[in-house]
Amino acid sequence: MTRQREITLTVNGQRYSGTTDVRQSLVDFLRETCDLTGTHVGCEHGVCGACTVLMNGEGVRSCLLLAVQADGAELLTVEGLAENGELHPLQAAFWEHHGLQCGYCTPGMLISALDLLRDDPAPSEEAIREAISSNLCICTGYVNIVRAVQSAAAAMRATAEEST
Amino acid sequence: MTATADWQDVQARWTGTALKRKEDPRLLTGKGRFLDDVKLAGMLHAAFVRSPYAHARVLSVDTSAALALPGVRGVITGQEARERSGSLRPLIPVPSDPPNYCLANDKVPYVGEPLAMVAAADRATAEDAAALVAVEYEALPVVVDVERAAEADAPLLYEEAGSNVLWHDVFEYGEVATAFADADEVVAERYTIHRYASTPLECFGVIADWDAGQEVLTIHTNDQRPGLTIGVIAEALHLSETQIRLITPDIGGGFGNKRRPAYIVATALLAMECGRPVKYFEDRRENLTALMQACDGVMYLEAAIKRDGTVLALSVRDYADEGTNLISPCQHSLLKLGNMVNTYRIPAMRYEPYSVLTNKCPSGANRGIGKPFMCFAVERLMDRIAGHLDLDPAELRFRNLIQPDQFPYETPGGALYDSGDFPGTLRKALDLLDYAALREEQARARAEGRYLGIGISTAVDPASSNLAAYVLVTGKATSTGVGETAMVRMEPDGKVRVTFGDVCSGQGYETAAAQVVADELGLHPNDVHVHAWFDSFTTPWMYSSGNYANKFATTDVGAIVGAAQKVRDKIITIAAHLLEAAPDDLELRDGRVGVRGHPAQSRTLREIAQVAYRNLLALPSGFEPGLEATHFYSNPMAQLPDENNRVRGQLIFTNAAHIALVEVDVETAQVKVLRYGVVHDCGKEINPLIVEGQVHGATVHGIGAALLEEFVYDDNGQILTTTFMDYLKPTASDVPTIETDHLETPSPYTTLGTKGVGEGGAIPAPGCIANAVEDALRPLGVRISGLPLSPNRLWPLIREGLARGN
Repeated sequence: MTRQREITLTVNGQRYSGTTDVRQSLVDFLRETCDLTGTHVGCEHGVCGACTVLMNGEGVRSCLLLAVQADGAELLTVEGLAENGELHPLQAAFWEHHGLQCGYCTPGMLISALDLLRDDPAPSEEAIREAISSNLCICTGYVNIVRAVQSAAAAMRATAEEST
Repeated sequence: MTATADWQDVQARWTGTALKRKEDPRLLTGKGRFLDDVKLAGMLHAAFVRSPYAHARVLSVDTSAALALPGVRGVITGQEARERSGSLRPLIPVPSDPPNYCLANDKVPYVGEPLAMVAAADRATAEDAAALVAVEYEALPVVVDVERAAEADAPLLYEEAGSNVLWHDVFEYGEVATAFADADEVVAERYTIHRYASTPLECFGVIADWDAGQEVLTIHTNDQRPGLTIGVIAEALHLSETQIRLITPDIGGGFGNKRRPAYIVATALLAMECGRPVKYFEDRRENLTALMQACDGVMYLEAAIKRDGTVLALSVRDYADEGTNLISPCQHSLLKLGNMVNTYRIPAMRYEPYSVLTNKCPSGANRGIGKPFMCFAVERLMDRIAGHLDLDPAELRFRNLIQPDQFPYETPGGALYDSGDFPGTLRKALDLLDYAALREEQARARAEGRYLGIGISTAVDPASSNLAAYVLVTGKATSTGVGETAMVRMEPDGKVRVTFGDVCSGQGYETAAAQVVADELGLHPNDVHVHAWFDSFTTPWMYSSGNYANKFATTDVGAIVGAAQKVRDKIITIAAHLLEAAPDDLELRDGRVGVRGHPAQSRTLREIAQVAYRNLLALPSGFEPGLEATHFYSNPMAQLPDENNRVRGQLIFTNAAHIALVEVDVETAQVKVLRYGVVHDCGKEINPLIVEGQVHGATVHGIGAALLEEFVYDDNGQILTTTFMDYLKPTASDVPTIETDHLETPSPYTTLGTKGVGEGGAIPAPGCIANAVEDALRPLGVRISGLPLSPNRLWPLIREGLARGN
């Protein structure tokens, strides 16, 4: 009854090949086969956003995608945000502004925020709230997450200006 | 907004500093380790077979097809579980005390009750197999309404108990009859609260691993109350507590919901059966259907009032719908008893609680347990009285609030409010949002045909639960008081390790405990490592150990400071000996111990630690080597109930005032929260950054409960809200920025003057929002007496108002 497929995908710049059951979700493949447990499962029905990753540059719910659908794709997960041991500006801002408490939603929240800032480097508070309404955070009441995204956006703009 | 501090910037005492959290880097980089991240060699995955009926007799359970499925390694049924394990001991044993096995046997009392469990090589196969377990049911009559369930002829959940009413009593404190006789008027209301839950984003789970050689059961779980759970599962499995090793990893939120000993016992039985570790991790549907929900309820209140608005007495009949809660029933009522008068100096009270079983999900702890309903009812009543007497709602509150010179203030039910400035808190909240300006804005909006409303509420936020309150139900003083225990150890390199029996689920204990210990030992918080994980084989614990009731700042800190001071005393003794100085002249500072004012006469803590662990002959004669201490702290405020049934059910009291500006769209019945202000007073703050985060989060829990969240049951006991598409949590677009300010009135009764802060916002917010919505709809004559104020609930009220031609 079950069918197995070989798939290869690139996560955070590293290639992973493995066997997947055709009904296995992408998040389970990431967590179990790639051993990347930073991406969390919160609802398994596409509402909470904890499992959000970037696939070919777009934010997706990895609980609603099958692993086979990601065959050949480029993915970014929370483990790929920091570079050379240095926190990504979003991570640094979440730390600075207490934008996390239990930390369970945080990986998906960071990825959704990154998805926003790539499209809109200077979002208004309303735009931030609208963008991250794809992700539930049960602990923070969102206040400090919004502040963190605003602060990270400013830091990222400053860096972008310096490098031009 | 609180400015954060980097560690190197701070010279003063660490306690009170807004330090960035030590745990954050790992959580931000995907390196946290939660239950679902734990993998044991050979681990199987389990799934429950759950009842589709709200009330049914189980006629037969056939597991043969499930067992025949490739990949399946074992199945356990309710019948087998009853043969191999005992009934689960409740936290609060009610007099009728129906048996409660880890899996249902002959009867299922709610939709989602597990009655068998399957283990397989992977979770998908386990779920396939669970679907193959054939169960024959005979449906029974269902009761989902709490007042109906309390009637003598209602369908019975447990025939052996003879009634669905687990507890009913009448408490009368002070001169209630006289107060009602003296009253100018009596205001009577009936209020209801709905079922909701905090729903931490990480579901509940367990991994059970039976080591048949050592005969030790290792349990990884995100259970919030390990101290209580260890004994319950040991008893049920007929094991000694020495054979239970309970480990909690990083926990993705708790809020009271994360506890279900039955799941742990069932998973352990299956692990023993299969000879392999077994993991069970709820999915969200199971979590919303069957884990834990706050009691819904009905409250009848009568207030005896004078014409000037003074409230002389309250009479309350309180029905708590426990669902099928057999492990901690009566909590929602017991935890209201002491603070039913909220922030007001109401001298007399009659309180009549009913704890009633219905065919719904077990009720249980949820941020604030019972107090959100207490506060909703009292604050609605205050607005009603204000409206009746044509007084401003703020003015009516000022006339009734407990005054700063009245502390410590004993409430009619026996709670001792420790300290605070309740009028000052309310005044500051009114200033925070400029109450007068809001009223002007409202008047302008009304002139434009818009419906703006202002809501106010005040609240106490009690902390640390005294188990002796349960004596009112059980009649037996076998579990009393509340305590916590901590171990502090300075390692030979001079750095410090701390572990204690509470389990963090997002409150930043690794940081806050490090700040407290750093102050005691003259160290940098970076040099204090607080265990992220609880491990009952290495962490000291006691019955009340765990994460609940705002316990950290009001009880745990006593244990942590106590253990640190024991280590400090040893350091001073050793240093005095080595430096040939008087102990009283020594101080610990910046990683050194030395003579105050004589920096040359000092040693590093590392040097002292080296002596303590390896240069034993340099120690004072007969001195116990090592720098490790455990301290058990019993909260000194706890007492047994007195002869009049007055009891300090909770021990330390934060207070808050909330103020909201909302707009109601009468075409869509949508409520928009335009502004929301919170002023709170939790005494001395250990870390203002963490405190502010708790206030934001708890407040949004309360707003969500007031406007969006509701577990809906139909008349057959079917739950209709089993996904986050039906059970609506607030998103970032549903809530405004929570504006905050604070007072700091230290508690005279805690080690550092601290009070609890975790639950605070969730208590006043539902009442505040309800008051604001009613205020908005005043032109239509709409009265709010229940929650949530979701469009489907508000719409008919608005239509009626419009039809009345208001």
